[in-house]
Amino acid sequence: MQSKTLRHRLFIFFLVAPAFVVLFGVVIYPFVYNVVISLSNMNLRHIRDWRIVGFDQYVKVFTEPSQPDFYMVFLKTVIWTVVNLFFHVVIGVFLALVLNQREIRGKAVFRAILVLPWAVPQLIVALTWRGMFNYEYGAINLMLTQWFGLPGVQWLRHPLEAFIAVIITNVWLGFPFMMVIALGALQSIPQDLYEAADIDGASWYHKLKNITVPLIRPVMVPAITLGTIWTFNNLNIVWLVSNAGEPSDQTHLMVSFVYKAAFNFYRYGYGAALSIVIFFVLLAFSLVFMRSSKATENVYS
Amino acid sequence: MRQRRGKTAIRLGASYLVLILFCCVALFPVLQIFNISLRPADRLLSTSLELIPGNASFDNYAALFTERPFFLWMVNSTFVALVVTCSGVAFASTTGYAFSRYRFIGKKFGLLSLLVTQMFPATMLLLPMYIMLVNLHLINTYLGIVIMYSATALPFCIWQMKGYYDTIPTSLEEAGRIDGCNQFQTFYKIILPIASPALVITALFSFMSAWTEYVVAAQILQDTEMWTLPLGLKSFESNMGSEWGLYGAASVIVTIPVVVLFLSLSRWLVSGLTLGSVKG
Amino acid sequence: MWGGAILLSATIFSLLLLLQVPGCRPGDGKIRITIWHQDRIDVRVILQRQIDRFMKIHPEVKVEQLFKETEELRSGFIIAALAGQGPEIVYGPSDQVGPFEIMNIILPMETMFDSTWLACYDPRALTWYRGHLYQVADKLGNHLTLVYNRKLVPVAPATDRELIEIGRKLTVDLNGDGKTDRYGLAWNYTEPFFFIPFMTGFGGWIMDDRGNPALDSRGTTDGLKFIKELRDVAKIIPNEADYNVADILFKDGNAAMIINGDWSWAGYQKAGLDIGVAPLPRIVSTGLWCEPMVSPKGFSINRNVGGDKKAWVLELIRYLMSAENQLEATRELFTMPTHNDVRHSDFVRDNEILRNSQIQIDHGRPMPVVPELRAIWDAMRPSYQAVLAGTMTAEQAAREMQALALRRIKEMNE
Repeated sequence: MQSKTLRHRLFIFFLVAPAFVVLFGVVIYPFVYNVVISLSNMNLRHIRDWRIVGFDQYVKVFTEPSQPDFYMVFLKTVIWTVVNLFFHVVIGVFLALVLNQREIRGKAVFRAILVLPWAVPQLIVALTWRGMFNYEYGAINLMLTQWFGLPGVQWLRHPLEAFIAVIITNVWLGFPFMMVIALGALQSIPQDLYEAADIDGASWYHKLKNITVPLIRPVMVPAITLGTIWTFNNLNIVWLVSNAGEPSDQTHLMVSFVYKAAFNFYRYGYGAALSIVIFFVLLAFSLVFMRSSKATENVYS
Repeated sequence: MRQRRGKTAIRLGASYLVLILFCCVALFPVLQIFNISLRPADRLLSTSLELIPGNASFDNYAALFTERPFFLWMVNSTFVALVVTCSGVAFASTTGYAFSRYRFIGKKFGLLSLLVTQMFPATMLLLPMYIMLVNLHLINTYLGIVIMYSATALPFCIWQMKGYYDTIPTSLEEAGRIDGCNQFQTFYKIILPIASPALVITALFSFMSAWTEYVVAAQILQDTEMWTLPLGLKSFESNMGSEWGLYGAASVIVTIPVVVLFLSLSRWLVSGLTLGSVKG
Repeated sequence: MWGGAILLSATIFSLLLLLQVPGCRPGDGKIRITIWHQDRIDVRVILQRQIDRFMKIHPEVKVEQLFKETEELRSGFIIAALAGQGPEIVYGPSDQVGPFEIMNIILPMETMFDSTWLACYDPRALTWYRGHLYQVADKLGNHLTLVYNRKLVPVAPATDRELIEIGRKLTVDLNGDGKTDRYGLAWNYTEPFFFIPFMTGFGGWIMDDRGNPALDSRGTTDGLKFIKELRDVAKIIPNEADYNVADILFKDGNAAMIINGDWSWAGYQKAGLDIGVAPLPRIVSTGLWCEPMVSPKGFSINRNVGGDKKAWVLELIRYLMSAENQLEATRELFTMPTHNDVRHSDFVRDNEILRNSQIQIDHGRPMPVVPELRAIWDAMRPSYQAVLAGTMTAEQAAREMQALALRRIKEMNE
């Protein structure tokens, strides 16, 4: 009995190990490289002859009067992440619940259409949304004025409206992913639990709160955690819809901020330091979130 | 009785309404893209809300295959995506199982480290990644790309599989053991089928990561014959003067396999627990 | 079934591993030269044709071209060259030269070419920086011009007042619903590069002769005020227009004129428009012409190119820069050639578009190649857009731009 378990353990180990070796190889070297660069003065003038200068870059990240302001950008990124995730999850779970009902016909068609925002190539869809937000010619304003009689909004001209426009685009792009995960998660809930609750006369809210939500948690938590990290670091959508930060560099997230510093101004040391800061922020968040949702433990045990 | 049926009717009616509403929202921008593909002369935007433009034509679709090596790009992308999907499903299903069922040293650390690999903004990884791949002679190879894609997709898949396995009661494995299966057979014949919804998600996610990824592919693949679809699509774009017609047509075609894959996989998005398992 | 998946992926992995073992792929012993560029498809087609001819003449060389989008071209080349790799030749506008030179990833070329050969070309096509030649160009231009729809505009305006007058006449509300259906003029006016001609028309320029930013000037403020006048007083330009919006307005006939560069003319002709190209107008109040930036587009050599390959790289460049090849490109693309024989040829003289293009180039200002240019673009954008949004006055904006430019340059050069 003992040797069988040991053999099996080794077997699992050998299946797991290669994945981890590759993962670490791919990630560790770049990470260490960035840590080193963040402690250096690598930029346009010191591209080959850079040397370690200590924490100068980090000091600059936190204290340099930049335009836009570092703390504003950080706050904006947090708001961006929270708002996006909220809508992604709520809409995704809601649609999954609706779609999962036994009596619904044509599930395949609905699923196919609802998954489209995820399936379509991002560049052209982001630019299409940008076009839809145009003040005079965009579909959004045309609908607002023609169907609802409301005045058109200057989406891309003002910082707040531009921020909202980018969020709307990203919510549209992101809800199918959460919907698919939720659909999968719902399959793990045994039907008898619902039947028992029905016999006890439970309301739909009660069922949702006490059966559905806790039991889809193990599957949703990885998606939400990683979704948060991905959304925080999402460069594409903000860059494309706002045309790289317009108006006036106000529509920036931390990642686009890093991108500009590193690739437009060749401030590689500064960019590396900023990336490490982002990394620690996300690490702190994940640790806190994971601990509070007990995600590393079993839910049935 | 009639009240219950009435309530059900309202619930269903409202459900259909909600679904149709969201479908319209999901569909509208996509129809715009379809619209772009039908317009001649590379018009990204239109000044009207009409769904089919006046001078629509399918020329762009024809041009994709006759004037550009679109078919080659499709073959390349399909190859890479299939390898990433198969390896993703294989590795994630086993690694996630290990994390779910076994206790071992460094388990928590291992799980967290999976997350950690995702936290770094990708743009900063480009230079060191390039240097590393050059030294390993993996530049301009599909192996290099597959490794990078797997490394990015696996963390989520492993974690997600683990989460799903966590919802499967261990009593099933005990029952299997009693029936005379060894551990691997229990895993393979009993647990995996029940976990099929999670496998669907893993497969779909892995496929999407490989099918749509651009940045890493642009850095690694230097030969135009090895180009995947995202690189091909990017070549329609120039700073000023993109070929939107072709881009639109390509986008439509590129979307179809994803939807088809999703539809064909979704018959496994069914509760495995109802497939005759343990009662009581 | 899943066991099958595991087996399948394991076999594929091992297959792939096998393929990567050196010696398994057939080598053909040819000398490989790669060119990276950011050109659109029409240019790529012509380049491929010329490369194919070169390879027929020299069968021991294999030349490949790879398209990369402008920003990626720059960052991709930097990454690759710093790692000791990258294409042998990089082709693009002259503003790449500054950063590449400072990072020491391109080779100085003045000793590699014969001085008589260099003399065959327009001096503006040779990009010198800090005493060395870093780029030789086969095309000159990348310049903005006034493009007009001949059906709506029979004669192009020559001054700013005429521009406003003609624009006013053509900005109409065709169906009486209170919304303008056609604008006299549309262009990507929110982007600093597209604002430069007006800055120069009112007497300003982005730098002084020592290369320091000089954005706080009458030229800037008056130019900004002029754009606002076009939008708010004369109302001949749309409320919000980026590149794609202006492009489609012009293509659909909803804008009579557009300010766009030489890369766009062929596209408009293909869309079926009867276009004319005219130099940008003269500003009456200053007497100065609107001068856009003019930039050569040419070849630079990667520092990592070894001695034996260098001879072939030079041979290829000389071939692509030859008079026949330049004439071929000019005929199909309407870009301005740099070889003196082609510049003074009958074809260029007789073609109306090229004639006007030549006039505009002569009116234009060379684009600076210093890396600080990037900081200047970036500094201009926020204040410029704030003026358009009405949250800043033109004078404030000019001061802000200057301050931000100085700060960015300092940050970049620390």
